[in-house]
Amino acid sequence: MSFDNASPETHRFLAWANYAFLAAMLAVIALILIAAAVMQYAFGELPCPLCLLQRVAMLGICLGILLQLRNGFSYQNTGIIIFSALFLLIVAERQTLLDIVPRPGHAYIGSAVFGLHMPVWSIIIALCVLIAFALKLAIIGGDHHLETTPVSTFPRLAAIGTAVGAVVVALAVVNFGSVIVQCGINECHTMGYQLLGYTPPAS
Amino acid sequence: MMALIFATLVVAFALSWFRRPAVARLMVGVCTTLSIGLFLWEIWSPQYGFEMPWLQG
Repeated sequence: MSFDNASPETHRFLAWANYAFLAAMLAVIALILIAAAVMQYAFGELPCPLCLLQRVAMLGICLGILLQLRNGFSYQNTGIIIFSALFLLIVAERQTLLDIVPRPGHAYIGSAVFGLHMPVWSIIIALCVLIAFALKLAIIGGDHHLETTPVSTFPRLAAIGTAVGAVVVALAVVNFGSVIVQCGINECHTMGYQLLGYTPPAS
Repeated sequence: MMALIFATLVVAFALSWFRRPAVARLMVGVCTTLSIGLFLWEIWSPQYGFEMPWLQG
């Protein structure tokens, strides 16, 4: 099955479905980042350095999607999304393996959500992104219908993408400020915010 | 280092928002390189290196 010689209507539908898929993925990751922010600010669960790198990877996925939605389609942006998902998978896997065997000084940081801790959720999120893109490639093939059909063809979808994108940009700025307060320009610790008076132990 | 990583990421988002995709991708590259460097630094231990002997029981 190939969509290369499909009718213009089919190409238009595929483009709409593809942009909707990207906007939905952006919204889901934005919700996950909002949940992480709530756990940090409302419940005082400070992120560890590897947790912060997982947020960087999730924001990297969002950035790739935002580039697709605001600057037109490019396979380079798809590369950014897939590479960020791979980085998320590697960091989360390492953190899970770091804490998977109970031993002194090592335990999962933060509360479990539905029985799973954040690095385990990050593995699931990264796998979902990678599987979604793999299935899209396997079923639809290349994204050439996006090259000929910009997101502005679908004004409502473009507006939703812009609105969710604005939330993600705000989340990136909030996380940047939070990292400055938590870590300053030093190594990050989970015991307190360095700029609010916490002094890390000498290493 | 973490602050620098998030700073490059925020700059990349700003460039993407204001439709400068080429420079935004360049900043993503810088951010990713710094992130990989910090990740390797975080997981390296003077005692075990990159190994995880606790997994072998």
